[in-house]
Amino acid sequence: MDNIPEVADSPPRINTAEFIKLTVFNEYGNVANTNVYTFSSAYRAEVIDGVTYLPMGGLLAVGVQNRDLRVTSSDTTIALSGISGNNIPLVLGTKIRGSEMEIIRGFYDDNYELANTYPRFTGIITNYAILNDREDIDDNFTVSVSASSYRTIFENRVAGRYTNQESWQTYSPGDNSMNNVYSIAGRTFDFGKPVVASGGGGTPRNPFEGPVRRN
Amino acid sequence: MATGLQTILNACDSLSIDRRRVAGIQFARNEQPRISQTPTLNPWKMTLTMPNSFRYADSRNLIETLDTLDRFTPQLITFSSNPKLSWFFRYQGTMTPSQIANITVTSYVGDQLVLGNLPVLPSTRVLFEPNDLIQIGAVDEHPFPFTSNNRVLRGTGATVTLTTSRPNIITGSVVGDSIIVGNPCQFYMFCPNMPTYKFMPGGWQVRGSTTINNAYLEWSDDFALYEWVATA
Repeated sequence: MDNIPEVADSPPRINTAEFIKLTVFNEYGNVANTNVYTFSSAYRAEVIDGVTYLPMGGLLAVGVQNRDLRVTSSDTTIALSGISGNNIPLVLGTKIRGSEMEIIRGFYDDNYELANTYPRFTGIITNYAILNDREDIDDNFTVSVSASSYRTIFENRVAGRYTNQESWQTYSPGDNSMNNVYSIAGRTFDFGKPVVASGGGGTPRNPFEGPVRRN
Repeated sequence: MATGLQTILNACDSLSIDRRRVAGIQFARNEQPRISQTPTLNPWKMTLTMPNSFRYADSRNLIETLDTLDRFTPQLITFSSNPKLSWFFRYQGTMTPSQIANITVTSYVGDQLVLGNLPVLPSTRVLFEPNDLIQIGAVDEHPFPFTSNNRVLRGTGATVTLTTSRPNIITGSVVGDSIIVGNPCQFYMFCPNMPTYKFMPGGWQVRGSTTINNAYLEWSDDFALYEWVATA
């Protein structure tokens, strides 16, 4: 866990800005083919880890990020101005869903110099929305991007494998022990007992037909 | 005379200035304040209240200019263009205009403005007083004035350092630029709420037998000017 001196010991005042980095993966399976978009709520361009974060002015809001003592899954949202820069092409013209979003919090000193930065949120973009809000003579466009934290991604991940041929042979291509699963899927087996009803396409037994004769 | 927002500034009944920063302020149960500030471009905001005494016939040019500016076009205004307003933001230091014209910016990082090429003056002479306006560059170059936070004496060094009211919001390099001081500084303002006007009967004027005016302008609201920092 990071120790953040800027907020240690409950300081009476902090001076912070949010820095956002979107990494859009252009090609499945090729993590090197990316476009990186960076912007911030700061008053000037800042360089963090060699990456310049522009004071785009199009960053309208950064959503709530849950802060819990233990690791919890949470989503967040950032809102961008739809009339600023390339924000609408960013969500419509790129593979924005599945992109990585990082939110970094920067702390400024009393002379408005960026002193330290710390990661605040890392997740995957799951959705976007474009809002056109016109009221009377006020016409505003907003682009919202939603992101889920990595923990949510892990929660939705399928662990292990299914007991069917396709899943089984993904891990063991030569193993054909699950090849017949499809033919018996959905059928009822009374293991160790006489068959009293057949699953799958069989007709249910009519209870008025009397007892089953056992041989 | 320049018209538009400059006319509004020249003729307004009252002027209020808002330079408050963006900050979240919470009070704990024991009433300790906790403040989270966001370092923004901290634009100038001025609210001008106009009298309803403008005759329609004399204000046609003003009306057209304001309607053309609408709510989104910035315009340069200054307090020095009207002699009756030149007391406003008057330079309080002791340098002459020619001495000021020779000063150049050595560096400007954060809110620390370092000035060089200073005049030869006694070390106790005041160069800037609190609230003195300072604009970087030539006229029209960077019309985003700052103020000095505190009194700055000449001292004995080659440079002096001012703490300015807001950090350096100018995107390009300002090293070597000259400065403008006091009320010649320019403000690049637009009016997001641009008031509309209503014609009220009155101010009857006749030329020969022709009525040329019979209306005063009544403004729907104050003029809330906002600094156009988008091009800083």
